[in-house]
Amino acid sequence: MTRPPALLRRALGGLLLTAVVALSGCAGRAPAATGSSSGGGSSSGSGSSAAAGATSPAARTITVTVTHGKAHGDTGRIPVPLGTPVRLVVTSDTADEVHLHGYDIEEELAPGKPTTLTLVANVPGVFEVELHELNIVIVHLQVG
Amino acid sequence: MTVLAHGVGTRTDLPIPIGLALFGAGAAILLTFSILLLFWRTPRLGGAGSGRPLPAVVQRAANSSALRRTLQAVTLAATVFVVTAGLAGPPDTPHNLEPWVFYVTFWVGLVPASLLLGPVWRVINPLRLVSRALRVLLPKPPGAERLPSLGLWPAAVSLAAFLWLELVCPGRSLPGTVAGFVLGYAVVQLALSVWFGEGWFAVGDGFEVYSSLIARLSPWGRRDDGRLVVRSPLAGMIATPPMPGLAAVVIVLLGSTAFDGLTRTVFWQSGPGASNNPVIGTLGMLAMIGLVTAMYVIGTLLSGRLARQPLAVQPGRYAATVVPIALGYTVAHYFSLFVLDGQTTWILASNPFGTPGVDLFGTYTNVLDLTAVSAGTIALVQVCAIITGHVLGVTLAHERALLSERRARASDQLPLVIVMVLFTFGGLGLLFGF
Repeated sequence: MTRPPALLRRALGGLLLTAVVALSGCAGRAPAATGSSSGGGSSSGSGSSAAAGATSPAARTITVTVTHGKAHGDTGRIPVPLGTPVRLVVTSDTADEVHLHGYDIEEELAPGKPTTLTLVANVPGVFEVELHELNIVIVHLQVG
Repeated sequence: MTVLAHGVGTRTDLPIPIGLALFGAGAAILLTFSILLLFWRTPRLGGAGSGRPLPAVVQRAANSSALRRTLQAVTLAATVFVVTAGLAGPPDTPHNLEPWVFYVTFWVGLVPASLLLGPVWRVINPLRLVSRALRVLLPKPPGAERLPSLGLWPAAVSLAAFLWLELVCPGRSLPGTVAGFVLGYAVVQLALSVWFGEGWFAVGDGFEVYSSLIARLSPWGRRDDGRLVVRSPLAGMIATPPMPGLAAVVIVLLGSTAFDGLTRTVFWQSGPGASNNPVIGTLGMLAMIGLVTAMYVIGTLLSGRLARQPLAVQPGRYAATVVPIALGYTVAHYFSLFVLDGQTTWILASNPFGTPGVDLFGTYTNVLDLTAVSAGTIALVQVCAIITGHVLGVTLAHERALLSERRARASDQLPLVIVMVLFTFGGLGLLFGF
């Protein structure tokens, strides 16, 4: 049984560490390449991507269609293992802008035209994919 | 950027691993009953009169009103600058300094600052300086005599208003919204301080009350003879004056952080929260605060009944013992925001108005590093924070029970302690994502 003062010392130590990490964290390094995005293209999600190497996890295609302001298809929260090459295919019935937060990939959406965002999921966390005009989240990408 | 929880941010945490969640739950149960049955049987933490006085030089410096006013002037200048950057800088949140300074550096940073240094916001609160200048309007505040009867209820209200902005308000991450809130908050607080006197800030400014409450868990305190002392944080917390409304402040903090956790679950994101409707958000926040209130009140009343204590005083009497639990939740929910998205403040501070070519500190071209702290470390910090808060809460409640009834039976404390265990299970469950 640990006595409270010792526990507190540890808690305070933890907070000090937090502060140090926060201050040193401001140095900020660029994450490894997060891939680029490409407009247009086929929306048929075969899952086979050129980016998938021999050792990396199998590529994952996430397909979302937005009609009348609502998202259909792979919505909700989609878990993918760290390092997975991801193709996010979004089709909207109205002109919009799709934004994957954290990875910070943005792409214009033309009405009815499938648009593909490609990335390698190498930053862990839960990230929103948002449509800016409709102001809705269409899917959460859970990496890790 | 308007949909994400807690004001600003580019990511949320992964669910904690099930093993860690179960380990945390087991540790909470085991530690709780160890404290209840094996810890001291007579009060021993020391109260308002405990602590070793700090050297006279430190006392004088900390009590110097000239120093305080200088610091308040610095904070005032910084606030005006950041709000100006909010209104005149780039209109989009990722490139505007203000929301990041306000939600991350200030609001989240207030927690480690107060825990390490004491009630910092009380010392550097810029509104105190402005209020002093405004005193020429009403040299004798007409409401000063009524102020003590309000207790801490005004702080509970102003904290609830801020938390609603942070967690529910549409457009909460936009610089204009934040600037509007800061200016509106300042006007209302200043008007009330002119009416009630400068004593208003200690009971009505939510940020100051929040900082001062957390500072009770810092190693620094003011003894009942007015001297600054170094003492056990637990002694500082147990010596918190039982003001009316203290329980409300603690419950608003705990309930709203629980709501923040709820909004990150798949249940909320694919269910009630999917529509991003502010009415549903408001109801969700009220429901979580209501749930915490009901559990806390039932726990304290049942414990009081078993110990044959006057029931009316019970909820207020134990309010301070829940502060570490609320603090544990806060650390668990905001740690990653502070260390990851908190970097944005330092990047944008290098060019506050988004002027091409400006890079004051050479950090403007830095890129947010979302891998600075690993997911495993974040999960460990989260579970440790929740468990540490729980253990401190149960320890304080144990001491408080012994203070009110010297021969208190351990079993009398059971209802409140069970409620604390449920809070902790709830906290772990929200981190796990249910």
